[in-house]
Amino acid sequence: MVVLVQGIVFGILLGGIYALASSGLTLIFGVMRIVNLAHGGLLMAAAFLTYSLWQGTGLDPFLAIPVVGAALFAVGCVLHHFVMRFADRGGDAAVIMATLALAMILEGVNALVWGSEPHSVTPSYVNSSLRIGEIILPTVQVYGFVVAGALLLGLYLLLNRTWLGRSVRAAALNPSGAALTGIRVERVNLATYAIGVALTGAAGSIIAVLAPFTPDSGDRWIGIGLAVVVLGGMGSLAGSLAGALVFGIAETLTTTYLSSAWATAVPYVVIILVLLVRPQGIFGRKVREDTVSA
Amino acid sequence: MKAILSRPRAWIVLAGVAALTAVPPLVGDTYYQNMLIMVFLLAIMASGWNIMGGYTGYISLGQSAFLGVGAYTTALSADWLSISPFLAAPLGGVTAGLLATLLGLATYRTRGIAFIIVTFAMLALLGVVALNWSSVTNGSHGLSFDIPTWDIAFANWPFYYLLLLLLALTLLMSWGIRSTRFGVGLMAIRDDEQKAASIGINTPVYKLAGFIASSVPIGIAGGIYGYYLSFLDPRAMFSIVTSITLVLAALLGGVGTLWGPVLGAFLVEPFSQWTNYQFTGPDAGSWRLVLFGGVLLVVVLFMPRGIIPEVQARLRKVRAAGTAGLSGRRLATVAEGGTSGAPEWLTLGSSSTVDTSKPLLEVSGVGKSFGGLHVLDGCSLTVERGSITGLIGPNGSGKTTLFNILDGGLRADTGGVLFDGKPIDGLNRWERSHRGLGRTHQLTRLFPRLTALENVVAGVRGLSLSGLRAPAMTGAEAAKGQELLDFVGLGDYRAQPVGGLSYGQQKLVELAQVLMLEPSLVLLDEPAGGINPTQIEQMVGLIRELNRAGTTFLIVEHNMPMVLTLCGSVRVLAGGHCIASGSPQQVQSDPLVLDAYLGADFRPLQGTEASS
Repeated sequence: MVVLVQGIVFGILLGGIYALASSGLTLIFGVMRIVNLAHGGLLMAAAFLTYSLWQGTGLDPFLAIPVVGAALFAVGCVLHHFVMRFADRGGDAAVIMATLALAMILEGVNALVWGSEPHSVTPSYVNSSLRIGEIILPTVQVYGFVVAGALLLGLYLLLNRTWLGRSVRAAALNPSGAALTGIRVERVNLATYAIGVALTGAAGSIIAVLAPFTPDSGDRWIGIGLAVVVLGGMGSLAGSLAGALVFGIAETLTTTYLSSAWATAVPYVVIILVLLVRPQGIFGRKVREDTVSA
Repeated sequence: MKAILSRPRAWIVLAGVAALTAVPPLVGDTYYQNMLIMVFLLAIMASGWNIMGGYTGYISLGQSAFLGVGAYTTALSADWLSISPFLAAPLGGVTAGLLATLLGLATYRTRGIAFIIVTFAMLALLGVVALNWSSVTNGSHGLSFDIPTWDIAFANWPFYYLLLLLLALTLLMSWGIRSTRFGVGLMAIRDDEQKAASIGINTPVYKLAGFIASSVPIGIAGGIYGYYLSFLDPRAMFSIVTSITLVLAALLGGVGTLWGPVLGAFLVEPFSQWTNYQFTGPDAGSWRLVLFGGVLLVVVLFMPRGIIPEVQARLRKVRAAGTAGLSGRRLATVAEGGTSGAPEWLTLGSSSTVDTSKPLLEVSGVGKSFGGLHVLDGCSLTVERGSITGLIGPNGSGKTTLFNILDGGLRADTGGVLFDGKPIDGLNRWERSHRGLGRTHQLTRLFPRLTALENVVAGVRGLSLSGLRAPAMTGAEAAKGQELLDFVGLGDYRAQPVGGLSYGQQKLVELAQVLMLEPSLVLLDEPAGGINPTQIEQMVGLIRELNRAGTTFLIVEHNMPMVLTLCGSVRVLAGGHCIASGSPQQVQSDPLVLDAYLGADFRPLQGTEASS
């Protein structure tokens, strides 16, 4: 019983971090209908940046989040301005291939700059933990969960309480309609992409502390990110938060009761099953599809 | 055969095959032999991908899974059955086909981006399985093949010739698909899958056949390639990089063209080998990733259509310079009841088996809600055989929803529909069109990248092997399509992609497309909406002509003068059910109708005549 509860607690803590780590992917997909496969590479770039800051200046990885987030925001602006803006001329295939191309370039650059050997960020509290009864709460995971929750709350407020957020939601629902009401969709897309990448950066700082990482760890994270997006109903932030928690629990329980080798299969099984059985995700609603949108 | 050999392109292809066949004996250097083997492999994979990604529009990032599955199947069955891997390679094709079947089932519910994600996940999952299912796949240690027994001097020859043969067969198949009605059906699915279903295309069967065709060559190639490598590394066999490389080849050469993927393979593979040679040392892999990603990005951003379509577009521009286009020319007018009337074969004979006393369409008590919104609520109406029946009503009264229920796009919550005396509620879109039910859309839905003739010919009246194999642009069906285009006055536009036609012209093409199915009942959703008065008159003429030949019409229309002159009988929808039915004269003086739709200040149109 304790093992089960412990597994669920680990799963929830991990799920919170997964929610943040995939929020950028969800946001960009929800607004721009782009599956940003560069996501894994960006996450790793942020983790390596956190490592360098920590090594160079001793900056705590959690305090590095604003710096790394700002740096990744700038990266997002550059990528959108020079690449994503032009990628949709060739249709769905071209857009996804463009993000894949970025993923390859990022992984290569990460490896050239930081090398291929495993890196880890180990602040003094990395092995400490809190205890509630027999349940163990690792400090790093708790910090990560709290920071992730705060950032996601900030994102929620940004989308629902600000003018920018309203433009973003309008552009997501109907880009040409939004453009007609005076919203500069191109700018909204730029902001969305950059904010999405910045959130990815924040998550990168957290996962740098969770486990050792290499440039190709990004592959695993893109699988997790896609699983969460799919579970959440492709583009819904609230849905992907719930999806991330479900997924975090599913993964820790698989590790606990099956094996960690098969836990790597969980995201892909989740993606395939959800898209086959319930393409609208676990909480997604079906919308009327028969009306023609001109 | 003679006709084929008279074309210069056929001679170029034959010369190319002859030259490639001569390479192993003439060029002893194994470097070039090895490179060509890899080029053939990539060309097979890219051409296979092209059937799914190019013709059908289902972009797969998991295509290299078929290679891995084929290679593993071949290695295991060669071992278990103690046969040569060459004999076992076709079994690799079989498992690849089975995997494609699963993927085909997946497309029952997913398309577009969701499908891309499914294929990506499938590849990654199979990679994990190959790595962890040690009892069968030997896990991370991989599988090895027996060492070849033939003379080392000819070491590469069997691989070379078998892959060349397989490439030739794959291209022959790809060409065959493109030039048959099956291929037109796949391309129709790419442009608008639901519309394709509504003109009689059994989309799941088409996609399944397309996916299997796209995967089997890759599975067989996987077996041959595995033997060529003599060792299977699970990470390499299920690598996403292989998928990316083959999609890059197809994109570079030209997605959806026959030769594009081959051209792409001949460019990408030597480039890849060159980078192998250029970069050495510990950072080589990283530099290759950056370089490959960079090339991919350049292709996607600056040449998204690929080389072959780009060159074709340039050539077309050069050739078209100085000649007047068709645009701006007036439509050919339809001679009323004259020689260019409705084609003979459209005339519905008064067959004695049909019970003509019963209505052709009987809608009884149909209800449909979206969430809390009851769009249709106990809607009952009939359409008499041989009539032109109008369906009018205010916006939101459920007219288009009723059409969507009739054509199978939506399922009714309650009630049922009898067509020709038989219930059709459980039928798919294509089955309904095979029964003789056709419809057009309020905003035209055509396959924008197909030509006018291809759009018309795409419709099928049933699923049969001979139908799938029939040539698309020659023969009886194309002649019928041409007749129909002539009938609607657009014969000269047959070779134009319909995406470039005007809205009014598209409406006429959509009508011709529906007629190809030889329907007994045609549902027209606002045929006069958004087109000019001359075209409305033309449309009215066509409908009358067709009705004289025996076709029944149910027309949703807001243009009241048109409804009242054209229709012999009118049904009025309001609040989700039929509030009135009768002749135009009766309906336009019905107080209920005046209140719900026409308005109290509506003045009845005098002297209208029923046309049926």
